[in-house]
Order: sequence, then structure tokens, then C-alpha cells
Amino acid sequence: MKPIRLAAAALAVIAAAACAPSNPDSGSGGGKANAERITIGTTADVVNYNPLVGNSRTDTWVTNLMYPRLTGMSVDGKRTPYLATKWEYTDGGMGATVTLNPGFKWSDGKPVTADDVIFTIDAVKKEKIGIVAGLIAAYDSATAVSPTEVKFKFTRPDGTFLDNVGFWMPVVPKHVFEAQPSVQKFANDSNWVSAGPYKLAKVERGQRYVLERVDSFPLVDGGPKTKEVVFRVYPDVNTEVLALRNGEIDLIANALPPALAKSVEGDSKIKSVKVPSLGWAHMQYNVKRAPLDRLEVRQALAAAVDYEAIRRVALQGKAVSSNSSVLTPTLKQWQDSSAKEYTFDVAKAKTLLTGAGFKDGNGDGLFDGLSLRMIYDQADPNIAKWAQMVRDSHKEAGIDLKLEGLERNTYIAKYQARDYDIYAGSWAIMDNPPANLGLAFKCNGFINYANACDPALDALIDEAQSKVDQAAQKGPIQTAAKMITEKVYDNVLYVEEFTIVHSAKWANFDVQPSELLSIVNPRSLAQATLS
Amino acid sequence: MKATARFALKRALRGLLTLWFAVTVTFFLLRLLPGDPASAVMDPTMTAELRDDLLRDYGLDQPLPVQYWNYMVQLAQGNLGISFRQNQPVLGILLERLPWTLILTGSALLLTVVLGIPLGVLAATRAGGFVDRVIQVGGITGQSLFVPSIGVFLLYTFGVVLGWLPIGGAIDDDVTGFAATTSMLRHLILPCFSLVLIQLGAYVLTLRTTLIDALGEDYCVLARAKGMPNRRVVWKHALRNALLPTTTLVGLQLGFLVGGAVLTETIYAYPGVGRAIYEAVGQLDFPVLQGAFVMLAFAVIAANLLTDLAYGILDPRVRTSS
Repeated sequence: MKPIRLAAAALAVIAAAACAPSNPDSGSGGGKANAERITIGTTADVVNYNPLVGNSRTDTWVTNLMYPRLTGMSVDGKRTPYLATKWEYTDGGMGATVTLNPGFKWSDGKPVTADDVIFTIDAVKKEKIGIVAGLIAAYDSATAVSPTEVKFKFTRPDGTFLDNVGFWMPVVPKHVFEAQPSVQKFANDSNWVSAGPYKLAKVERGQRYVLERVDSFPLVDGGPKTKEVVFRVYPDVNTEVLALRNGEIDLIANALPPALAKSVEGDSKIKSVKVPSLGWAHMQYNVKRAPLDRLEVRQALAAAVDYEAIRRVALQGKAVSSNSSVLTPTLKQWQDSSAKEYTFDVAKAKTLLTGAGFKDGNGDGLFDGLSLRMIYDQADPNIAKWAQMVRDSHKEAGIDLKLEGLERNTYIAKYQARDYDIYAGSWAIMDNPPANLGLAFKCNGFINYANACDPALDALIDEAQSKVDQAAQKGPIQTAAKMITEKVYDNVLYVEEFTIVHSAKWANFDVQPSELLSIVNPRSLAQATLS
Repeated sequence: MKATARFALKRALRGLLTLWFAVTVTFFLLRLLPGDPASAVMDPTMTAELRDDLLRDYGLDQPLPVQYWNYMVQLAQGNLGISFRQNQPVLGILLERLPWTLILTGSALLLTVVLGIPLGVLAATRAGGFVDRVIQVGGITGQSLFVPSIGVFLLYTFGVVLGWLPIGGAIDDDVTGFAATTSMLRHLILPCFSLVLIQLGAYVLTLRTTLIDALGEDYCVLARAKGMPNRRVVWKHALRNALLPTTTLVGLQLGFLVGGAVLTETIYAYPGVGRAIYEAVGQLDFPVLQGAFVMLAFAVIAANLLTDLAYGILDPRVRTSS
């Protein structure tokens, strides 16, 4: 008996000690009024520290603080100076010149130079790394005019190059990465040499990533305001909200789903920030498959969607209309004011289908031979909701829509194989219409999920891409967008307004568009202070 | 001694066979998962050419039997491979996580035994009474609980409403010495409690049944007839015999503990092997998944082997019959 009693007593003592509330001044939690540290919740570990390869949100949030890009972005998607102070096209669009900020230094003391930029873009081209490789098809070569000036040469006029490279390509240190046999396969998982406002100092996988301030960071007067940025890993966004309420974290990097965002609205300790999306949610009809190869069928499908109800109910009002255009309200400089949203009109949908020869022979309320399969990622809470609303409104119009909510990897495999009638999903970042429309709608576009191939559309996109100033690009791009809407190559449902929440103790964040930048972008975290 | 060695050798060989079976099933099962590891690693919008390059790098362009042979050769050399996603040796990734899983499952196992024995004795010695019924209902209820549901409830109650315990993780940052121990214990309480809650019932109910049987045996009746105090009969005589099936249960339950750890570590953001498995499934990181399953299968098989050996030592009839 005695040993058991002893063990029980010892356990009771341990439990009592462990249950004692923590000391709020201990600095162990991020949000305990500690101006020295801002703690950010995320739902995944960093899996790849190589900024040219990592593709998860957490990878990007962390590596964005370490590796500079040539340009930043304002809330309306316009490029702003970052590593580059000046950029312009030359030789009628056959080249470009970029001037670098001489104040940037790698964390080992070496300056960030034109050679680093040239090494990075050449490695991306040579090893075909990531999405950037697909965006620099016109890039030929680059030369360092001086340590702070790069001259790029193209094989054809390309007016998308600076926006693409500026935003999508992090610059890596040549003297570290060139020693690797393959830049793409370089894990970069220790002894980091970086040049952002923070440098990675400690990694505890599954728990936290600690980044320390780089005092010499030139874009914020006096250097970053907060000494440390810590990313803490939680299993999901619900747990992150508990941690924010409990004071363990100061900010949630992930956007809150609309229902959860509503639930924190009355909490005075939490502040919400509205962040516009750079993408859109949509349905794309596989035009290579009958009967979706017929315009009137696609038009009927577009008329059988209650867009307003989707934004009001599924998104709880946290989305805006894009007027069925791929030129969204976030990028105001590209928007076409004449664009109009498809009208939700069941009778019109039925008329179009009847006109296309479909009949309801057995009187079951559904057109015979018109059963379509729509795939979506079942883990996406928004799409899982509106997919059902679309099914119901389609049924009203006599269209049998079968929903296939899939596990993410299966979903990816299906859409890569174009194995669907209708693809439901959302683009995260479509920041440069001339480049993005090329990828998404040209005959050989590798994210052309509608399988559309329209020479007239290709010609308009090519024309826009060859112009070097936005004013000249706008005309052909707006015409292309109008064609996409009219031919229903893409059915844009809404543009989401992300809700990012942080502790009311913090202020002075810099809001940038998309969930990837939001208020977790380098400039924002460097300038944030306790309120 | 010779019989014990033969018994141990037989059990070890059987353990190896089980390990090979587990490794083989895991290998082929993972290849049945839908999706493409290359897409999970890189941007899914990458070019087909790049995807093919990656699959070639991973060795996934080879026929399945070739992949299996390569993996087994690699495994025989103690090499668990390189993570697709993290580009680092799997062994290093798992060893970094293993201590947390050992702390969690070890403490849960210890606490279950420490609480389970007195509760089982209490129920058996008051069989049919109110206390016995309460313990039985509690045990069955605990077994039927689902970790995620209980996890969210506990996190909200103790983390947000009462603010006593942290929401997730295993230890606070920048703590050393006694503060580090206290921090670890505070982070351990909820995940450990959840695991104990769901498996305590099995111990209590098994011990209760075997102890009731033991108390009805002739040697217990005789001990009582000779005037031995009931407490001594229970704790010194009946319990020792009743503990034999419970010892087996400890070994068997280790498998359930490991399975439970995947869910528990995920819910409580506890950075163990279980959470690594959860992450690797979403990323189709075959080498990490295979490595984790090999490691866990080895742990379960080793625990069962030790249980078998202990049982054989405790009860010579087992050695003789085998």
C-alpha cells in the first residue's frame, strides 16, 4: 500500500504545481504584453526553407521575412519599392533595368548585389524552379551594370516581366546557394544567410520558429520595431483562436473562415483586419467535354447560380462581386466598369437548355442526359458550403449536378488530369492580369482548367503582354476579360475579403492584399508596435 | 535457462516477421493513396516536365517491385530515406520528435497503471455495490470518448475559460531548469489526461474481472478461513495473480496508445511522432510515413515481446506450453 500511496501523493503534488497559473511577465507566451516579441499562430510547420521552392503558406510567411523580393505590393496590388528602388523597361520592351537599394546586406555582412539577383533568376531558369520559371519565358540573360544595377535582356517584348519577377522571385545569396549542386534541391535548413527584416534563429519543429530582428534593415527607420517574431504551430484555426483569446499568441496568420470571423467580432481584446484577396472563387467548365463545349449550355449553367445568396449565406457577407469578370475589384487599375454579373435566372437557364435541344422526357424536372460532375476540395469550408447551394439552384433549372468533395491530394490529381466536368476552386494570387490570363486561358496555359483554346483570346493576351506600360495593356486585357465572361470560360463567383485577427495590444500593421501578405508581410511586421 | 532462451528467440523471430509484414503492408498501402507526391511538394501548377523530374528524383518512376526492393535494401542498412518535403534524413526528423511521444505515451501509460490498479481493486472488492457501478460506468464512458471532442472541450475549459493551462505545444520558449520542468508538465496535463481517460477503463474493468475470479479461488477462501485480514488477502495474494492478464494488457494497449497519440498530438499541437504522421499524410511524404510506421511498429512489437518475456518469467506454464 505504501508505495502506491506515495506515488499518488507525488502525482497530486506534480499536478497541483503544474496547474498553477503562469507568470504573465515570464515572457514565455507571446502575447503577455511583451513588446520584445510578437507571436504569430500558424497551422503548419515550415517544410522547406528554400524560398525558391517552398510552396506552403507557412513556408512563405517565414521565408518572406528572410529573403527580399525586388518589389513589394500596396493594398491595391501596385508594386512598391523593396530591394529595388527603381525599375523600367528598355529597348521597346526587349529589356529592363532594375536599380537596387544599396542598404541591403546579407546577415553575414556581405552586401546584396546585382550578382545575387542574376544568380537567382538564372538558377530559376536553368532548373525550371516553381511558378517563376513559367513566368519568365521571355527572359534571355542579365548583366550587372554595377553592384546595384541589373540589366535584363528578353527574347521578345515582355511587359509582364518586372511585375512577375518583382513579386514572385525571392532573391537568394549567390555565395551560399552557388555552392550547392542543385539550387532546387538545396534544403537550406541551417546556418541561414538572409537579408529581410528578420533572420531565423531557432527552429523547434512542431512547436515554434524564432526570428530575430536585423537592425540594419533599410526599409523601416531605425530598423524593425519588435525584437523577435515567433511563429507557433497549432493544429487548426479554431485552436489558434483559443490561443489568441488565452493570450498565448498575438496574431493569427491564417485567414479566419467567415463563421469563425463573425464569432470573434464582439471581443474587445481582438481586432479584425479586412484583407482583400488577389484571386477569386470560381467554377470552370471543361469545354473539351460535351455538352460543355456548347456555349449555350455554359450560359445556362452560369444563369443557374444565385451569386448574391452565395456571398450572403456561404461567405456571410465577407466577399464582393467581381461582376463575373476576371478583372477583380482588388486590382482597381485593371477593372472594367462596364462588366456585369451573370443574372441568376432559372427560367433563362431552362430556355437556353431547351434551345440547345435538351428535353425532360420523363417529367422528373431534370433535363435528360444532362448530369454533370463537379469536383472541389472538401477541406475548403467556403466551397463545401456554396457547392451545395449551386447544386440546389442547378436542380431548380433542371440540371443534375453531382458533387464530388475530394481529399486534397485526390482533388489535385483530378484537376491536373482535367478529370471533371466542372472544376470548383479559387485562385489565391492573380496579381498581374496580362501574365495570369496567359497562364489560365491561353491554349497552352498550364493552369487552363477550362481547357479553353481560343485563338482570338490568345491574340489579345499576347498583345497585352507585349506592351510595356499598363495603360497600353489595359485595352486588350479588358477585351480579353470580356470575352472570357461572354464565352463563360470562367464563372467568377466572388472575391473574398479575408479576416485576419490580432490582439488589440498591437497596432501599426501594413495591410497588403492576399492571405500570403495580409499583415504578416515583412514591412508590416517590421513596423508593428504595441498600441 | 535453456527453455527461457529458446522461448525468447522464438518470440524475437516472430517479432521480426511481424515487423516485415507491417513494413510491407505500409509500403504498398501508401502507394494506393490517391494523388501525386510531387504535387504535394511543389506548387501543384508546376509543369509536367518538372513533375516527372521530381518523381524520378524520388524513385517513384520505377516499377513498384523495384521501389519495394530498393526500400527494403535501404531499410536493412538502417537508412529510413530522405523526406520528400523537407529534403532531410527521415531518421533525424523522427528522432527530433520521438522524445515528446515517449514522454506523452510513457506518462499516460504510467498514470493509467497507477490509477487503474486501485480503481480495479476498489471495484472488485465492492462488486455489485454503488462504487463498483460508478467505476464501471465511468470506465465504459471513458473508452467510448473521442479524443478530438474531449480535446476541444478541455482546451476551452482549462485554456480559455479558466486560463490555467496552455492551448498547445510542449514547452514554453526560453525556460530552463525547474521552470522548464513545470512548463513541460503544464503542457503535458491535457494530452496525457485525454489518453488516460480513453484507456483507463480497459485496465480497470479487466483487473476488476480477474480479481473477482481470484478472490473466489480456494487459496483466498483458505486464507480468509485462517483469519488473514481481507486487505492482506486482496493485495498480497489475489492481486498478484490477477495482475497477470493486466500485464498482457499493458503491452497490447501500447498499440492503442500509439494510435491515440496521433490524434492527441494533433489536437494539442504536441510535437511528437504522431503529429509528424498527420502532417506527412497530407503531404504524401512517403519516406516520413514509412519511417514513422517502422519506428512505431518496432516499438509496439518490442513492447509485446517484453510483455511475453515477462509473462513467461512470471508464469512458467507459458514457457512450457510454448
